[in-house]
Amino acid sequence: MVKSVEKTKRGTGILGALAFTAVAVGLYWGLVQAPPDALQGDVQRIMYLHLPSILTAYLSFFLVFIGSCLYLWKREKRDDNLAHSAAELGVLFTALTIVEGSIWGRPTWGVWWTWDARLTLTAILLLIYTGYLMLRSLIDDENRAAVSAAVLGIIGFLDIPLIHMSVYWWRTLHQPPSILRPDKLPWENVDPAMLAALGVNLLAFMLLYFYLLSLRLRLGEVRNEIKSLRLSRGAY
Amino acid sequence: MGPWGFVFLAYGIVWGAILVYLFSLKRRYSCALEELAQLRAAEESNEDAK
Repeated sequence: MVKSVEKTKRGTGILGALAFTAVAVGLYWGLVQAPPDALQGDVQRIMYLHLPSILTAYLSFFLVFIGSCLYLWKREKRDDNLAHSAAELGVLFTALTIVEGSIWGRPTWGVWWTWDARLTLTAILLLIYTGYLMLRSLIDDENRAAVSAAVLGIIGFLDIPLIHMSVYWWRTLHQPPSILRPDKLPWENVDPAMLAALGVNLLAFMLLYFYLLSLRLRLGEVRNEIKSLRLSRGAY
Repeated sequence: MGPWGFVFLAYGIVWGAILVYLFSLKRRYSCALEELAQLRAAEESNEDAK
């Protein structure tokens, strides 16, 4: 048991070192190596944060969805811990995506915020999962809180396909995808140097995400152990 | 604000927020470990008393 804990700690440490190295390389590629955009100039460099942030948030909410489905099926604390941890990180990355988008929107659209379909649906996504975290803290009965949160976690995930399709379904200010287009391959539409910078930053965000997730999962495990010890002592 | 001003503002907020979250996570983890150790010590002393 002690050996496996040590092994997990070492694995997390290696993941953290890899993540921060990738972040440093990503910063260099995004701020120095990649060329400025022909139309937007240097402000387009925000894309190297914006796209990886939202993709990380989507991955996080997908894990909430998986963890929630598994919890409702098997009622194992491990799955609930995965959903809860991923929701916390998803809220962080969604909030950061909205802030980055707002900063990018000011010089390109002339406004910090507009009630565009994609922006509004992303704000709704943030509200749903902030509600998910609040719900967990407001219900005293641990099992009831986990079941209610799991249901919300599954329903909330339905917002993601709506966000993705919003630029096709409605007339929006937000541009359609540049990378994942049905009519063109990514390298036909984007400069290869920009694509490489995006790839490095995406890898950096993914490594960082899994590093943060492994730390958050460990915190959840320790908290669950504290709760079971208290229960066994009859403190509740 | 010039284009680089917006770029540095975005990068500063994002990396600042991620670092704050990382430190808060580590602090919460240390506090939880400390609490667990105290509970285990209390458990052991209870068993010894029995």
